[in-house]
Amino acid sequence: MKRASDLRFRYGYLIHQVFVVSLTTLSAIIILTPVVWMINAAMRPIKEVLTYPPRLDPSQLTFEYMASLIENELYRGYFVNSTIISLSTLAIVLVLGLLAAYGFSRFKMVGGRYMLLGIMALLMLPTVTLIVPYFRLAHLVGLYDTLFGLIVVNSAFILPICIWLLKGYMDAIPVDLEEAAMIDGCTRLQAMQKILVPLAVPGIVGTGTFVFVFAWNEFLLAVTLTDSPGSQPLTIGLAAFFGQFVRDWNSIMALSTITSIPLMIIFVLFQRWVVQGMTSGAVK
Amino acid sequence: MGEKGAHQPPSPEMTVKVTEAQSARQGPPSTRRVLPREMYGFLFVGPAILFFILVSIFPLLRTFQMSLIDVEAGIPLFVGIRHYAELVQDPWFWSSLTNAFVFTVASVILHIFIGMVLAVLLNETWFSTTLRNIMRGLLILPWVFSTASAGLMWTLLYHPFGLLNYLWVGLLGQEMPIEFLAKPGLAMASVVAVNTWKAYPFYMIIILGGLQAIPPELYEAAKVDGANAGRRFWHVTLPQLRPILIAISTIDIITTVGHVDLIRMLTRGGPLRSTETVAYYIYKTALLDGNLGYGAAVSTLMLIMVAILIIVYLRLVSRGSESGETSF
Repeated sequence: MKRASDLRFRYGYLIHQVFVVSLTTLSAIIILTPVVWMINAAMRPIKEVLTYPPRLDPSQLTFEYMASLIENELYRGYFVNSTIISLSTLAIVLVLGLLAAYGFSRFKMVGGRYMLLGIMALLMLPTVTLIVPYFRLAHLVGLYDTLFGLIVVNSAFILPICIWLLKGYMDAIPVDLEEAAMIDGCTRLQAMQKILVPLAVPGIVGTGTFVFVFAWNEFLLAVTLTDSPGSQPLTIGLAAFFGQFVRDWNSIMALSTITSIPLMIIFVLFQRWVVQGMTSGAVK
Repeated sequence: MGEKGAHQPPSPEMTVKVTEAQSARQGPPSTRRVLPREMYGFLFVGPAILFFILVSIFPLLRTFQMSLIDVEAGIPLFVGIRHYAELVQDPWFWSSLTNAFVFTVASVILHIFIGMVLAVLLNETWFSTTLRNIMRGLLILPWVFSTASAGLMWTLLYHPFGLLNYLWVGLLGQEMPIEFLAKPGLAMASVVAVNTWKAYPFYMIIILGGLQAIPPELYEAAKVDGANAGRRFWHVTLPQLRPILIAISTIDIITTVGHVDLIRMLTRGGPLRSTETVAYYIYKTALLDGNLGYGAAVSTLMLIMVAILIIVYLRLVSRGSESGETSF
């Protein structure tokens, strides 16, 4: 009886779909609650944040809190610092990372394997074990409380994983194309620039997003190496703000939302490549 | 390896070797790595390696050196192993180790469990791929937020008049709100919950990648043999994911044990130092109390523990490479 089995198959398929989709949706709702709550608190009048019963639909939406933070010069400063730190870290890491990944992917070197293993060890090095010497060294070389010091140290912590991710990408690109270009008279750097880098763009975008998110969210190194708002990023601003205005949940959440907006935008745009990078080359 | 020759002035032997290599290159076209001179790669790798030596490895050695001196007086004073002797007798150090252990083990189990469940769900066949991709995006979202933001979001949820207490008091009819972050036993659980929320997406995505790489024939064969979904998971999925699970647990243990910002935002190590992990203890003694030498001693011990883990892991990985499991 073909029909009966067909029907049973469809019935089973339906149950399976309902189960999978509803369980995932339920998890997503639970997981997104804190985020929704943050945005919600950032945009409603002060009386409504901690009411009983809690309300999800604000009686009025207000951008007052976010606007007043954006107008505040101190917080604009934090925002600018975060932007400078993240973009500079991104630049340094991509240049050093692309070169190193190219080297590891295209050449067999004396001790190359050990260098790669060493880089993997650095990848796992916890930041906190180095804050003491960083604090001291930054004072000694005059990089304490400067954006530059923070950028350099940030780069050192995110570079290892970038080399691994980018190397994974380059390994997957056949070497023949570059060779053809070099036979046609390109130098090695030109071949890299004109053939390899364009082909590796998805990997570079994914890795770049990774770096940007890391640098934007970095907290411990910033708290170790900076002391004044002139060189502090938003994460520090957020912590300081929280310490100062414990009760003002509207403004705290408004600042937290503003801090997260650039990341959410970047994530929506580049999610595909980040996921691709993480699923393909990150851990093997 | 016979690459030593590259340091010596070119000898007739070398030239012969090079021409041999060149002619080999013009032969069959697609061996993956074709290499000209052996040292050429260093031009590309060099800058990054130099950067690591200056910014990571040199400070790493300084950590050890600083653990042997006192800098409080302004002039460095060599004190030998005094910090380590104090450390062994410091009850807060030992309690911070216990806390770190609890924090790490609980977090890692939850990360991998939740990551695995959600990855399996996302790996099923969905009636709509678009819906599945949207769900995947939503489920990764917590990863994007900074720990500082995550800490604040959850502090609001944990507030005595926050959402969670509304559910507890308002819906379940309990009398007293729960002090999620202020009760010694509960505070650690609350911090673990936030860490789980923040970090599971990373592991979910990597597990998802691992699931997608499992050849479907294995499942079909298991199905033909009459294995139900549970047995298929146990006998096909888990063994296939083994290398990935080893890798992410190691990375997760090391990342989690190093968390300072989360604890700094949520509890500052309190109440009664019940959430003070080793990492937070380093931050506190070195930066807040200004006791750099002592902080360096704690860091050194932590480094040694982490190094043991890393070495065990790297050995596993390199053994894998001989059987072709890894990429190097």
